[in-house]
Amino acid sequence: MAPALLSVRNLTVAFDTRRGPFDAVRDVSFDVGAGQTLGVVGESGSGKSVTAMALMQLLPDTATLTSGTIAFAGPSGSRNLAALGEREMQKVRGREIAMVFQDPMASLNPILTVGHQIMEPLRLQMGLAKAAARARAEELLALVRIPSPGDILRAYPHELSGGMRQRVMIAIALSCGPKLLIADEPTTALDVTTQAQILELLRDLQERLHMSVLLITHDLGVVAEFADDVMVMYAGRTVERSPVQALFDKPGHPYTEGLLNSMPPLEDEDPEVLQAIEGNVASPFALPPGCAFHPRCPYAFDACRQALPPFAALGEGHEAACLRVPC
Amino acid sequence: MLIRVDNLAKHYPIAGGFFGHRTVGAVRAVDGVSFSIDRGETLALVGESGCGKSTTGRLLTRLIEPTAGTVRFDNMEISEMDAGELRAARRRMQLVFQDAGSSFNPRMTVGALIAEPMHLAGASAADCKARVQELLPLVGLAAEHTDRYPHEFSGGQRQRIGIARALALRPDFVVCDEPVSALDVSVQAQVINLLTRLQREFGLTYLFISHDLRVVRHVADRVAVMYLGRIVEIADKATLYKAPQHPYTRALLSAVPAHRPGAVRKKTEVVGEIASARAVPSGCRYHTRCPYVMPICRTEEPELTELGATHSSACHLVQTSH
Repeated sequence: MAPALLSVRNLTVAFDTRRGPFDAVRDVSFDVGAGQTLGVVGESGSGKSVTAMALMQLLPDTATLTSGTIAFAGPSGSRNLAALGEREMQKVRGREIAMVFQDPMASLNPILTVGHQIMEPLRLQMGLAKAAARARAEELLALVRIPSPGDILRAYPHELSGGMRQRVMIAIALSCGPKLLIADEPTTALDVTTQAQILELLRDLQERLHMSVLLITHDLGVVAEFADDVMVMYAGRTVERSPVQALFDKPGHPYTEGLLNSMPPLEDEDPEVLQAIEGNVASPFALPPGCAFHPRCPYAFDACRQALPPFAALGEGHEAACLRVPC
Repeated sequence: MLIRVDNLAKHYPIAGGFFGHRTVGAVRAVDGVSFSIDRGETLALVGESGCGKSTTGRLLTRLIEPTAGTVRFDNMEISEMDAGELRAARRRMQLVFQDAGSSFNPRMTVGALIAEPMHLAGASAADCKARVQELLPLVGLAAEHTDRYPHEFSGGQRQRIGIARALALRPDFVVCDEPVSALDVSVQAQVINLLTRLQREFGLTYLFISHDLRVVRHVADRVAVMYLGRIVEIADKATLYKAPQHPYTRALLSAVPAHRPGAVRKKTEVVGEIASARAVPSGCRYHTRCPYVMPICRTEEPELTELGATHSSACHLVQTSH
């Protein structure tokens, strides 16, 4: 793996809600290599988006980062983002780490033109003058393959299609030349045809700009196509980390295996009955003791109910938190 | 044959003028669709958002009135039914929605929600209760769930409640509108298995509306591909996935992410985005995105042409080569 651009260790995020406190992210560690893509896979409530928000210090007021370090390699050496104050963090956001969300309509301001919104970070973060910012904005729109950028700069978000809006969001995210792009379900709200085009665009931009990507998704197909490494999360914890090929060839955790098996095939023989993972996602307020997946695990035995399983190695850079590994 | 649809259309007027009193155009959500569904069969409707697949589902159950065309349900013309006849027919056709939770009254218990359609149909309280107790295990819920409220359940369980409610009146035909799209991956397979099991057990006929071509391949017998309000290709499942003829079907299939990393996948054939149903392109509606476009495609709309016993496609390219 390339030297790590981002190195997260033992990240834990606690939420204090009306229903009581709980940890949304527990003891999560991972690396993102320079120019590499780490896919973070998990279901709703697995803690994948909260992890991303914690990296950017964009957690809601009810959440606290209770422990962990976020080492980010910057131009002046590595810094722990978890320890940065708001003013320093503002320089990191957008300029060094940028983010793209699932729903671009929710992130774009409906009453400002697209041009205004692309030029804003260029003027504030990069200190460009108006004419220079406009020229750069047109360049950025061309970069994300938007036809006739001049017209789009004058358009309002509602005048664009979902795919176009996501392209605009990507252009804004790339405007200050970040080294890490966090993409949180960037194609989930899009049609499969648009998704394919956006993923192709992201892959191409990543190569050209030598950018690292943290790709959060629930879709293993997207991971298969786009990620170099994968981290699988379940109920706030990492259950498996692996290079992408090894994960699909030899999943170590029963949850990963279950996810892979439950996907209906597009070309191979179609099974009569899909191999579903039984049961429901564990509630964060009533996590089962031991391995949180044990109530749904077809292989669970007594020890799984008692203690948290440690990580066991399956291969180079491949480990899973399961007592059955290696087997 | 349980369902027969002929030239079905739904156009929504676009209001214009200073006070919005004038009609300046129409959104052609569904624009001349014909197909049939056999008893016990699953026909899947696939396509991008805005292609008219959900509108078609609502037209079939007459939740909205068609602009033109006919829908025959068990040899009865549903657009000619009076209110009483329609109510009787509706007991036999039900809907399962994408987000079951949002169609429930949050103040009603699960038992009351499932029994509601029976209540409205005039069943006694005792009958309703007995039927709820029969339905809960059938959809994988426990008998004691009957007194709980919808918010206490996960997305997958709420979808099970929605399915139980749809089955309460023992329907023949169920429109499943993106029934698993909002569910987590690990729960999707459970609900798909439930739907296929129930179909076998009760001989249900499904119209399965979905944008997910993997799920469709698993559940459907036949597949109709819609684009801008029209069916561009319809075929039995094996043919559609193995030998798709319409460029749009091929584009859709090529856009599905691979199953394995490094899998050989043809470069995505698709360009651009779905055109607007407010301004349907002339000729073939797909010509603005089609990589094989010919001059005739811009002027003449291709008809759905039979290519085999169970395979039709609407494309000039296919017609010239056949």
